[in-house]
Amino acid sequence: MLDLIFFILLVALGYGAGTWAEKRHYRTIVEREQAMMNLPAVTLKSVDIPPEKIRSSRLVHGSAVISVDYFKRIVAMLRNIFGGKVTSYESLIDRARREAMLRMKAMADDAAIIVNVRIETAAIGKPSNRKSIGCLEAVAYGTALVVET
Amino acid sequence: MKYTPRRPVTNVNVSPTRPLKDFTILAGGLLAIVIAVYLALGLAVDLIVPRLSVEIEKKIGAAFTGVLAETDGLTAAPPPLQKLVDRLQETCVLLPNPVSVHIQQADSINAAALPGGHMVVTTGLLARVTSENELAFVLAHELGHVSQRDHLRGLGRMLVLITASTALLGADNSINGMIGQSVMLTELSFSRRQESRADEFALETLFCHYGHVGAATAFFKKLPQESDPGRFGHYFASHPENRLRIDHLRRLAEQRGYPSGTPRPWPDGVIDTKNY
Repeated sequence: MLDLIFFILLVALGYGAGTWAEKRHYRTIVEREQAMMNLPAVTLKSVDIPPEKIRSSRLVHGSAVISVDYFKRIVAMLRNIFGGKVTSYESLIDRARREAMLRMKAMADDAAIIVNVRIETAAIGKPSNRKSIGCLEAVAYGTALVVET
Repeated sequence: MKYTPRRPVTNVNVSPTRPLKDFTILAGGLLAIVIAVYLALGLAVDLIVPRLSVEIEKKIGAAFTGVLAETDGLTAAPPPLQKLVDRLQETCVLLPNPVSVHIQQADSINAAALPGGHMVVTTGLLARVTSENELAFVLAHELGHVSQRDHLRGLGRMLVLITASTALLGADNSINGMIGQSVMLTELSFSRRQESRADEFALETLFCHYGHVGAATAFFKKLPQESDPGRFGHYFASHPENRLRIDHLRRLAEQRGYPSGTPRPWPDGVIDTKNY
């Protein structure tokens, strides 16, 4: 019985805290995306800038680790039984990727453009161990070009 | 190519969801499936139990009574009690194998049939018995459960419950603990129909053995009204269900023309309840 109460409490806590954290995170993501909109980050390998105008080029990267909350994990576990879209994890991955991109842009600082951008994701924690920490890392990296004006 | 910075209007990577609704549907569906499986397995138990051979029942019983003897401190019944059961079995109750009686040291008033030809009677019950006939009724009631294999049904359903909860929540969960603690006697509670069939069986046995059904319902009635129903609540006159049982037995005796008679005495001290 105590186990069940604990479980319900954890689910409620996970739902409350998880939803609150997610809303807050999305608010800052949108704000910062708006602020950094003038720094393009593209997947192209070359750009239309004459080589002599490029002052420097360097690697920039950003990474973010986002954890799943208890509620999302339970919903995903139930999904695991029945199959279908694991919608509870979608926002998690979306947040991690966008946060990583934003950090990469923050690292680029005075660059005019970031080219050859790639995003990779990795699960953190041993998948064999069921009780491992369920979280996800997204890494975004690219080449920042600083251009003479 | 001109690069125009702009934010995407919609987020295609995150589906709009109602997480709570999702959770309710999934959890509810799972629960419904588990309940359906439990009911189906319960039905399967009911189908299998009448077909089990005596040998298998003995094997199940051996595992079961071994644990019980350790945890609840069971001892073999004294000769007068065992002889009464033997006499009932010889004359009126035809069972494939003899039933051995065990005594449990407890104040509660209780008797139970276990798989494999075992029966448990508490010292609390023996201390309150005054006539042989009323004791015979209680014993015959339990023999009725044995002959109907109700105890195996109870055990089977319990096993189904444990299996289901283990599969779902892992081996070390609270439901298993709950069942484990009260597994032995309490979980062998029977349905109303099973009880009334055992009552009828006991009444027939009493008539067959003694030629009358005097004191058949005496045991129900003389128990103290306010007494604690304990883990069983099996034989209590204060319980409304037991009043129905008494009425049912009376009507049945009338219908079949079973005469009433003077019960044989069951002297105090035939079984020294203190020493068990």
